[in-house]
Amino acid sequence: MATPDEVVHPELRELLQSAHGLMRSGKATDAVRTLANAYLLLLSLKPELLEQAVSTMSGRTVPTVMRWPALGADLNVDSVLAKQPRIEFTRDRFALSEAMTYYEFALETAIAAGA
Amino acid sequence: MKFGLFYELQTPKPYDRETWDPDDERRVFHEMLDQVELADQLGFDYVFEVEHHFLEEYSHSSAPELMMAALSQRTKQIRLGHGIVLTPPPYNHPARVAERIAALDILSNGRVEFGTGESASEMELGGFGVDRGLKKSMWEEATREIANMMVSEPYAGFDGEFFAMPARNVIPKPVQKPHPPMWVAASRRETTMVAARFGIASLGFGFETPEELGDRANEYYRLLREESMPIGHALNPGLAVLNTFMMGKTDAEAIRRSAGGPGFFAHSLGYYYTPATGASHPPGGRNLYRAYRDASPERAAQADTEQRGFLSEAEIRKGEPEDEVQRALYRAARSGNAIGSTKRLRKTLKLYEAQHLDVMVFVAQAGDRKHEHIMESIDQFGRELLPEFHERHETVHRAWREQRLRGLEFPINSSI
Repeated sequence: MATPDEVVHPELRELLQSAHGLMRSGKATDAVRTLANAYLLLLSLKPELLEQAVSTMSGRTVPTVMRWPALGADLNVDSVLAKQPRIEFTRDRFALSEAMTYYEFALETAIAAGA
Repeated sequence: MKFGLFYELQTPKPYDRETWDPDDERRVFHEMLDQVELADQLGFDYVFEVEHHFLEEYSHSSAPELMMAALSQRTKQIRLGHGIVLTPPPYNHPARVAERIAALDILSNGRVEFGTGESASEMELGGFGVDRGLKKSMWEEATREIANMMVSEPYAGFDGEFFAMPARNVIPKPVQKPHPPMWVAASRRETTMVAARFGIASLGFGFETPEELGDRANEYYRLLREESMPIGHALNPGLAVLNTFMMGKTDAEAIRRSAGGPGFFAHSLGYYYTPATGASHPPGGRNLYRAYRDASPERAAQADTEQRGFLSEAEIRKGEPEDEVQRALYRAARSGNAIGSTKRLRKTLKLYEAQHLDVMVFVAQAGDRKHEHIMESIDQFGRELLPEFHERHETVHRAWREQRLRGLEFPINSSI
């Protein structure tokens, strides 16, 4: 059972709690922006995440952090490779399903990283 | 646990030719009708059929509503599942989807399962002009409005981000009220949790192990109970997962019969869904089946299937890709969880049952598997295993579900 209460770092926990509240009240766009901030904070707290790569079936490896969903708040690949991650917004409106997707990913990643 | 069959209508080209035999598509379509008719007679609960476009050999199921209409007249009790309808408006206008779902529900006397989704292959997105970055948003807007169209008399009209239409009475209305049970295709864990929050069932394409499934089921039902914001007008609580399926009198016989199915399924799926290959597919210009047969890693995977059925879960996981989507492909090729004798399937499927899986959906029609082997497998499963799982579904699982769903403030329309 994953909840923001399991996140140790107070600022990160607060961002995730805030995003959860925004999502629950239907403010999807605000939730996505908050989650983007939360994810960037997580990457600054756990820079080792930028070093990790995930293997694919073809034997290629890609940076694990790039699994962050590309739904309009997209993690810039070059910024990840330069160890200065940046999220670029290609849209100014998001749907609830997108906020939910970003929320689940950010929360799971934060808890798994012990942040 | 309930059981279903899953169809892509895979139609591999002959190994030594550049196009299909004239009868190939007709044969595959009619074999599916025969297989589902038999499954219906034996008490299988569901059939799910995909909607895909332009994915040559991998899936020739571009008009599932027609197959479902045919099945509605050849079957009596099996639930007819869209697995799924592509709901972003460039694929299908939302009003047309609402009309077709309702018409099928009438023809089938209320047996429709309304699965929804987006697809992710460049062949389809590019073919219909769907922006990859907007497809989830399109799915949500259209799916919500389709549900509204099925219950509103008249539909008040809509002016959204991705489609608009004036007030109209969208007819006919479905037999099931307020509308048929709704699902979403989920190849990633996040989407299963979106399903929970939207109060719809998750049709999982991740080929999850029983252990992973247990965690997922607990979290899914917790979110459904605590955080539901229904996208439709009734909840459809449910978790289904896909598994490759083939039976035989012995494990060895089932494995022999299965060969060329899961491997081709994964090879062609990986081809179309990997941007480097899928985006540059030359329409009409490749023989995927030959590429699969000639690809030595795939042959190795096929051979490996023989071993995997007898390994522990920890051993099965060794060497798997870490990326969730890639792992699903890998497992589609190698998983042997529902391949084997009656004894073996009983043992492995009980592991899923113990983790409270609602529906197991079998991928039987795949690659170059033989129709007669699929028919015999359906028959064997229906006679030797289905009754005992059904009995436990009624006596054990139903109570487990009721406990989890108790106190929900929304109406439920679920066939599980």
